[in-house]
Amino acid sequence: MATSLGYSKKVRIIYTIYPIISVIMALAILSLVIYLIGVDPAKALYYLYFGMLGNYNYVSETLIRATPILLVSLGLAIAFSAKVWNIGAEGQLYMGGLIAAMVALNSSNLPSAIAIPLIWLAAGIAGALWAFIPAILKAKYEINEIFTTIMMNYIAIYFTSYMLHGPLRDPMSHFPETPTIPENTWLPRIIPGYRFHAGALFSLVVLVPLVYILLSRSTLGFKLRLIGSSRETARYCGIDVEKGIVYAMLLSGFFAGLAGANEVTGVVFKMRPEISPGYGFTGIAVALLGRLNAIGVALASIFMGGLINGSYTMHRMAKVPVGVAYFVQGLLIILVVVGEYILRRVMLERKVKVE
Amino acid sequence: MYEMIVGQLAATIRILTPLALAALGELIVERSGVLNLSIEGIMLFGAFVGFIATYYTNDPWIGILSAMGIGILLALIFGVFTVLLALDQIIVGLSMNILAMGATFFFYRAIFGWYVSPVPPHVKTLITEVPIPGLSMIPIIGPALFNQTVFTYLLLFVLIPLTYFMLYRTRIGLHLRACGEDPLVADYLGINVYKYRFMALVIEGVLGGIAGALLSISQYNMFLDNMTAGRGYIAVALVILGRWDPLRMLLGALLYAFVDAFQLRIQAAGVVVTAWFPYQFALMLPYVVALIALILFGRRIRGPRSLAKPYRRVK
Repeated sequence: MATSLGYSKKVRIIYTIYPIISVIMALAILSLVIYLIGVDPAKALYYLYFGMLGNYNYVSETLIRATPILLVSLGLAIAFSAKVWNIGAEGQLYMGGLIAAMVALNSSNLPSAIAIPLIWLAAGIAGALWAFIPAILKAKYEINEIFTTIMMNYIAIYFTSYMLHGPLRDPMSHFPETPTIPENTWLPRIIPGYRFHAGALFSLVVLVPLVYILLSRSTLGFKLRLIGSSRETARYCGIDVEKGIVYAMLLSGFFAGLAGANEVTGVVFKMRPEISPGYGFTGIAVALLGRLNAIGVALASIFMGGLINGSYTMHRMAKVPVGVAYFVQGLLIILVVVGEYILRRVMLERKVKVE
Repeated sequence: MYEMIVGQLAATIRILTPLALAALGELIVERSGVLNLSIEGIMLFGAFVGFIATYYTNDPWIGILSAMGIGILLALIFGVFTVLLALDQIIVGLSMNILAMGATFFFYRAIFGWYVSPVPPHVKTLITEVPIPGLSMIPIIGPALFNQTVFTYLLLFVLIPLTYFMLYRTRIGLHLRACGEDPLVADYLGINVYKYRFMALVIEGVLGGIAGALLSISQYNMFLDNMTAGRGYIAVALVILGRWDPLRMLLGALLYAFVDAFQLRIQAAGVVVTAWFPYQFALMLPYVVALIALILFGRRIRGPRSLAKPYRRVK
C-alpha cells in the first residue's frame, strides 16, 4: 500500500509540472520543424528567447502582449469551469473594443481617473451583452453555445468592419479605423521609457487574484465547478443551473470585453478591424494550458505573449516564417489536453486501487 | 431574370456540395455517439493539403486523394483520443481545430514564404463541371443539378440515398445507431462499439477531407488562412438542425447554401446595391441565418442518447 501511494505521489508531481513538460515537448517538435525548413534550431530558439525576455524592453512588451490574452483566458477559465464552452471571446473582444473606442472618443473632457474606468466598464458590459444572447439561448432553450458563439464571432467581426468603414471611420485616415482617442483616455505608463501600462499591471495584480478567489474560494466558483462536473448533481444540491450558465457566460464575456478595452486604451489608441490577431482563440488554449486556474492562466498567458513576440524576433533574425506562435500554441493545447487527461486517469485509477 | 435565377440555383448547389459532404460525414459519426467538432480542422487541413498536392503535381485528383488521406489521419487521431482513451470529445475537438488553424497558417508560410510575392499562389487545374447530356438542358433546375462536378453527383445521387438506406434499412445502420443510443447495451449484444465508431470516423475523414479540398482547389483555386471560416461548425449545426436525418440535413444545407450564394451575388452586384446594403452585412448574412435557424428550430433537440459521452468498456 505504501509503495502504491508513493507511486501516486510521483504521478502527482509529474501532473503538477506537466504544463512545463508539454512546453518542452512542443519546443522540441518546433525545433525539428525548424531544422527541416533549413534553419539552425539553436539560433532560432535563442532569438525566440531573446524576443521573449531578452532585455527589459522585451519583458515589458511580452507583458503587454500577454495582457489581452490573460484577460480573455481569465474569463474563459470561469466559463470552462462550468463546462460552458464560450468560443465567442473573439467576437466579445471586438464588441468591447468597439464600445471602448466609442466611449473614449466622447469623453475628452472627463478626468482620466473617471474616463478610463468608465471605458473599461462599458467595454466589459458590451462583451457581456454579446455573450448574453448565447447564454440565454443555452439556459432557456438548450441551444448549444459552441455554435451560437461561433456565429456571433463572425457577426461581431463583420459588424465592427462595417462600423469602421462607415459611421466611425476617421475621415483623415487612409485605413478603416476610428480617429485616435483623446489622450486623457490613454492608459498611463508605469515605468518611464517602457510601454508597460496600467492595464497590464491592473490585470496581473488585481484581476488575477480576484478570479483566483472567485474560482477557488467563493460560493459562486464552487457552484460553477459543480455545474461543470455534473449538472444533475448540481441540480440535486439545489443550485440554479441555468442561472449558473448565464453567470459563467456573462463573466467570460465581460473579461473578453475588457481585453478589447485594453487594446484600445493601452496599445493601439484607436479601434481597428485587426485589433485582435486571434486572442479569443489563443485564450482558449491558454485557459486549458493554465488548467482553468487563475495563476496557471497568468503564467500561461505570459508565456504565450512572449511566444508571439519572440516569433517576430525569430522571423526577423533567423528567417523562420511567421506564425510559429500559432503552430506552437496548437501543439501545446493538444499535448496538454491529451497528457493531462491521461495523467489524471492514471492518478484516479491508482487511488481506486489503494482504497 | 431567368439567367439570375439559374445562376443563383447553380451557385447554391456548388456551395452546398462541400458543406453537405462534411455534414454527412458528421451525421454518420454522431449517429455512432461521437461528437466530432474537429470536422472544422479536418476540412481546413484537407483544403491545405489538397492545395499543396495540386500545386506541386498539377493534378487535382492527387490533391483530392491526399486530402482524403489527411482527413482519415486526423479522424483516426481524434478517434484514438476520444474513443480509445475516452477523453472529452468537445475539448479534443476544439483543441484539434486550434492546432489546424495554427499549423496550416505556419506551414503555408513555411512552404510559400508569403513575403516573396504579393499575389497568393494559385492552382490552374480545376475540377470542372461535367454536364450530363440531356438532363442538363432541363430549364431552371437542369444547369443547377446536372451541370456540376462529379462530387455533387456523388453527394446527391449516391451518398445521401446510400446513407439513408444504410441507416434505416441495414443491419450495419441498426448497429451504428445502437452504438449512439446506448453503447453498453450494444456491447452486451456483441456489437463492437469501437469498430463502428472508428469506421464512422474514417468515413467522416474521407468526406471532410474532400470537402476541404473542394474549397481550395475547385472553388477558390488558392488557400487562404482559416479559409473554412466556421463551415465545419456550421456542418455540425446542420446535423443538429436536421435532427440526425440525412434528408432533413440536406434540406437545411440547401437553405444555408442558398443564403450564402445570395450574399455572394449582393457582394458582386456593385456600388448601387452595396451603398444600400453594405458588403459586411452580406458577409454576415449566412451566420445570421444559421443563428436564427438554431434559435427557431434548434430548441431542446434530443440527439442520439449517448452523443458526446465517452464510452469505456468494462474490463
